Amino acid sequence: MMKIPPILTLGLLLGLIACDPPVDRTTGGPAFDGTGYRAVYATAEELAKIETQSARALRKPGKIYVQGNYLFVNEQGEGLHVIDNADPAKPRKISFLKIPGNNDIAAKGRYLYADNATDLVVLDIGDPTSIKVVKRIIDAIPPQNYPSLQQVYFECPDSKKGTIVAWEKVSMSSPPACFR
Amino acid sequence: MKTRIIQICPNLFALLVAVVFWGCDAGSKSADISPGSQTGVGGSMARFAITGNTLYIATMQSLEVYDITQPDQPSRITKRDLGVGIETIFPYKNNLFIGSTNGMYIFDNSDPKAPRQLSFYSHVQSCDPVVVQGNYAYVTLRNGSACRRFTSLSSLDVVDISNLSAPRMLTTTPMESPYGLGIDGNRLFVGEGSRGLKLFDISDPAKPVLKEFRGDIPTYDVIPYRSTLIITGEKGIFQYRYDDKDQFDLLSKIPVE
Repeated sequence: MMKIPPILTLGLLLGLIACDPPVDRTTGGPAFDGTGYRAVYATAEELAKIETQSARALRKPGKIYVQGNYLFVNEQGEGLHVIDNADPAKPRKISFLKIPGNNDIAAKGRYLYADNATDLVVLDIGDPTSIKVVKRIIDAIPPQNYPSLQQVYFECPDSKKGTIVAWEKVSMSSPPACFR
Repeated sequence: MKTRIIQICPNLFALLVAVVFWGCDAGSKSADISPGSQTGVGGSMARFAITGNTLYIATMQSLEVYDITQPDQPSRITKRDLGVGIETIFPYKNNLFIGSTNGMYIFDNSDPKAPRQLSFYSHVQSCDPVVVQGNYAYVTLRNGSACRRFTSLSSLDVVDISNLSAPRMLTTTPMESPYGLGIDGNRLFVGEGSRGLKLFDISDPAKPVLKEFRGDIPTYDVIPYRSTLIITGEKGIFQYRYDDKDQFDLLSKIPVE
């Protein structure tokens, strides 16, 4: 059996615990334009706080989903705008569902399935002004350990700070260690 | 009395009935927005999809399958590990089309509880979503994505899927920065991110012909639904009516504020 020198083993280990994808500042990194992505963390307690709020303005609209006369618009990493779209010429915001770490949904009947960071939750939306969490499946979805965009720099994730619910673009004086 | 009216003027009666029903329908629409038991429709960028009593979740590295026969109690049935870089899922008839950073997976889900991989299309490095109609899959590939680092072109590819086990690229159309796309009959809508929205005619499904390029509508994803194109992008939600030939009329917008 081939023996691996200890120094190489150490190197391999370091390689494994470095960022994913691996970091190399000398080659392969995108051009640094003074910006990068910073992880927004939430604690388990904060994540579990799903609630119906009054309708609000769109800020960072993400994915969309239509069901009958409802239009759901994801506010990236924050939740869902519920819109009465019975008349597409006059859409009317009904409410905002705060779902930390939400980017995706699907619906059937009065039930809505949503990602709540790494959990899958089932919401009863029978009354869109007062939704209820009817089921939570913990750790159904792997964590979002890097921003969805590519060719960008981002702060390396630190699981001690909690679960990542979103990535926000910020100014940075120097490129952080992680990029993709 | 009524019978006599029908006899005298059947056409008028039919018209009256039609008007009454039409009126009722319009009335119920605005009064009741309850979704009923129907499953909704997502865009091409979706990671969640429901067919029948099955919920599929395309996570970054796997396909997760949940039984939702009892809708408030989803139970995990199975999963399929798919390496890394999974981005989107698009169900079509008895198949699932899964977009990843290095290709497109085609699954047979005629038994929804046991999806079976038929093929993996990696002729080109595809980073983005896929939509399907008939024997054709439309895939967008975006330059600047990690998997396209060594190439310089973004494109819209048409893939022949008449043999689901052996998908085959037919044509490729250069694009600027494509994201989500949607299809309805002879129309193919492709979001070009912050650069706008493109409308293609696909009367010949293998050869998309660009009909219109709207640089004023930033488009991340689209859903064609009941002759309305719903668009999401960095400026907000735009809705356009497209049912008349070559018509594309703004119905509404919900701006980002």
